[in-house]
Amino acid sequence: MNNKFDALKDDDSGDHDQDQSSPKDSEKIKIEDDEKEQNTTKKKMAVPGAGEHPLQYNYTFWYSRRTPGRPASTQSYEQNIKQIGSFASVEQFWRFYSHMIRPGDLTGHSDFHLFKEGIKPMWEDDANKMGGKWIIRLRKGLASRCWENLILAMLGEQFMVGEEICGAVVSVRFQEDIISIWNKTASDQATTARIRDTLRRVLNLPPNTIMEYKTHTDSIKYSLGRLPWAGEC
Amino acid sequence: MSTGAKQAKSCPIPTRVLTLKDWSQLPDCYSQTPGGTLFSTTPGGTRIIYDRKFLLECRNSPLARTPPCCLPQIPGVTIPATHSVGKLQDLKEEEEKDVADDSQFEMDI
Repeated sequence: MNNKFDALKDDDSGDHDQDQSSPKDSEKIKIEDDEKEQNTTKKKMAVPGAGEHPLQYNYTFWYSRRTPGRPASTQSYEQNIKQIGSFASVEQFWRFYSHMIRPGDLTGHSDFHLFKEGIKPMWEDDANKMGGKWIIRLRKGLASRCWENLILAMLGEQFMVGEEICGAVVSVRFQEDIISIWNKTASDQATTARIRDTLRRVLNLPPNTIMEYKTHTDSIKYSLGRLPWAGEC
Repeated sequence: MSTGAKQAKSCPIPTRVLTLKDWSQLPDCYSQTPGGTLFSTTPGGTRIIYDRKFLLECRNSPLARTPPCCLPQIPGVTIPATHSVGKLQDLKEEEEKDVADDSQFEMDI
């Protein structure tokens, strides 16, 4: 375990052969060079503090908001989405989460995204382009609790799908809210089935809640111009 | 990690086959690691797993309470928006309450 955190401290990419555990299970944090250039906020990777409980992966919180009715181009979408911060431990997660408003209290057309560090919450990211997402539409009043349960399950590695999980999104919209979880390989049915089953187990959804799986390429295909990614199709 | 050429004795993973007629019959522990998931690792690997209960308990530790450094100031998200102070209290009552725990955080205003 010590080697894994030594790897975290390195700024160089590709320095992860230090990790001795099997490739399937070991942490794979890609620090791409172009990512460093494009990121306007953190340049250093998050590291668990002393006495803190490390997470299997580092994650980053993002926030985005759009003025409804205004079409969003790719460029403006990137500008509208903002990093809140990254964390590497359970305690660091709570520090951020406890200082962020709950999704049920967000106003307007807003989203929180929680993605593995290094994966942008956009279809175009390498990790997402062959992927898809389970989406769950919720009536108003449920988003805060469902979002919390969803991200606790994700951070706690409850999905058991190797490295397939990319991140989760909660989208606040006019008359409903939407939560979604993104994975890397849309065609991997064993993975998507297991994610679905875990969602049922951890979310305690109302009966008759519909879960829908959408590939990102379908979302791109059916969107007009370049609409935001969640629940717009 | 082992350096010798010996192979560990293997035995099949114990399994149980159930036939279900309905989703409600699905055992609660399906797709969880057996024995709970407080802080566990998968055999032969180093995957870090936490269950919800444990994660919620960590919230109370002093390490989890200090504000993060470099939290961006976004009105209505990380700092109170100018006009929605009352909204927080109202919405708390509207939301479903879970019996087990209801650790809603209160924003300091």
